[in-house]
Amino acid sequence: MLMATTLTINGETKSFDAPPEMPLLWVLRDILGMTGTKFGCGIAQCGACTVHVDGKAVRSCVLPVSAVANRAITTIEAVGNTPSGAKVQKAWLDLEVIQCGYCQSGQIMAAAALLATTSHPDDSDIDAAMAGNICRCGTYVRIREAIKQAANGRQS
Amino acid sequence: MSGKVRILTSLVVIAIVVAALGVWIIRGPGPLDFAGGTKVALADYRAGKPTGVPAKLEKASLVERGEYLAKAADCMVCHTSPGGKEYSGGLGFKLPFGTLYSTNITPDKDTGIGNYSDQDFLNAVQRGTRHDGARLYPAMPYTSYTYMTDDDVLAVKAYLFSLPAVRAKAPDNTLSFPFNQRWAMIFWSAVFNPDTRFTPDTSKSLEWNRGAYLAEALAHCGECHTPRNLGFALDNRKKFGGAITAGWRAFNISSDKATGLGNWRDEDLISYLSLGHAPGHGSASGPMGEAVDHSFSQFAPEDIRAVVTYLRSVPPVASPDLPATTAPVAPASHKDGVTANARGKQVFASACASCHGWSGESPVSPMATLTGTWAVNDPAATNVAQIVLSGTKRHTPDGALSMPAFGDAYSDDEIAAVANYVTARFGTKGSKLTAKDVAELREQTAE
Repeated sequence: MLMATTLTINGETKSFDAPPEMPLLWVLRDILGMTGTKFGCGIAQCGACTVHVDGKAVRSCVLPVSAVANRAITTIEAVGNTPSGAKVQKAWLDLEVIQCGYCQSGQIMAAAALLATTSHPDDSDIDAAMAGNICRCGTYVRIREAIKQAANGRQS
Repeated sequence: MSGKVRILTSLVVIAIVVAALGVWIIRGPGPLDFAGGTKVALADYRAGKPTGVPAKLEKASLVERGEYLAKAADCMVCHTSPGGKEYSGGLGFKLPFGTLYSTNITPDKDTGIGNYSDQDFLNAVQRGTRHDGARLYPAMPYTSYTYMTDDDVLAVKAYLFSLPAVRAKAPDNTLSFPFNQRWAMIFWSAVFNPDTRFTPDTSKSLEWNRGAYLAEALAHCGECHTPRNLGFALDNRKKFGGAITAGWRAFNISSDKATGLGNWRDEDLISYLSLGHAPGHGSASGPMGEAVDHSFSQFAPEDIRAVVTYLRSVPPVASPDLPATTAPVAPASHKDGVTANARGKQVFASACASCHGWSGESPVSPMATLTGTWAVNDPAATNVAQIVLSGTKRHTPDGALSMPAFGDAYSDDEIAAVANYVTARFGTKGSKLTAKDVAELREQTAE
């Protein structure tokens, strides 16, 4: 059953019709055409679909759209407008973190959410925040470095 | 009479008295004996009608009334296999002595109940006797359904007969000797099935009587929530004190303040039954999730209230293994709180934290909040491990909310580790599950 739904995504109001149980990821990609957020496993185990809801990193593939009405959603398309997102993206480019890139929008979203609450994360903070984001190219070492660089503001 | 005969006769009499006493002690009280008031036959009860359908359906067709009652009795959940057609049977109940399969109750003449007369159907539902005279196993809760009125049972039959006939034969049971001897259920039934209809209690309100009828005869709450005695029948001395059923823990729903429902507000109980969630008490999952989805969520609001009124009256029974109060919210940082169990923490970070949060208060939905639930406060961690293994999909007025099943993604070792971490971090006392315990839970889940 379609329902008229309104969401606030990246500060903009978006209205569309969708079944209430449709995962947010499908709304983003298929209805709104915002394909920066990736579909990985579809069962919240890989992290590729990570977005922010009220600033917290969540998996959009298992999140029914009805659960996020009236909440602030941020996606990879606009995370660069947040202070922590901008720092993370710059560090990612500086260190050339990305290999194939498929998981990286999820990685960047998770890292940005981490830095927004923990400005100087240690290794255990990075483990706790990033363990759910899987990278089959194995870029983990560079991800860790880039998070530390984003936190410390070092230039390469 | 010679002395020998006299001694022999006395021995036989003593043996019969001892056996009868033993049976009487094992059987214990009936499900409504705690109320203690004066019972009258339904026909002589003048305060109103505690049986049948709610007022809004009083004038509905027999089939519609039967549909309401079939949902209230939750027939469908057990009589449908995963992916199978509704009511066509084949769900496997894994017991320690083999697997028992539910039957097809669609009106198919060969594989279903298409040949059942009204009397056949009454015999099955109220007495546990099949069309061909064979005995049903008490996995079919006829010792509860026996309290249903004939009218209500036959309305359910009319509804079932209005459904499309599905040709589906359930797999043969794999019970081992002596449990494969159906005829032996004659004795079980004689001792444990009261074979009696609901009798209202004149000392209680009409609402209480309605609630008693719904909870005992239809919803058969006790079949999961009341512990079983030596004969695998309900032990009503510990009525609603909680039990393990199909690998899930059905928690204490007696009026005990600490470990039962005594501290739940009416609105919490109403919300839990009708929506499957109550703030601060968690969400229904596993068999209770199914009961909410297919049964309680379909109850008329006044029937939910009646069940609540009835539950409130059930005497308190304590669950000594549960804490008197559930644990408060855990620290927001992963660094605070539990530090041991690195493996459990690693699994939690990878698979759980993004929905449940490090504090236990979900950033996603109140339905996914762990704080305050019995599952994480149960030092046996049964339901934590179960939901990790099998996941859940809950239907709410706002749509579905689901948790993926992780049973195929993580080893028994990892699931034990994360369950131990979760109960330690969000509950009062960490569990000590081993991989073997998790493997056993996998074995018990109905499928």
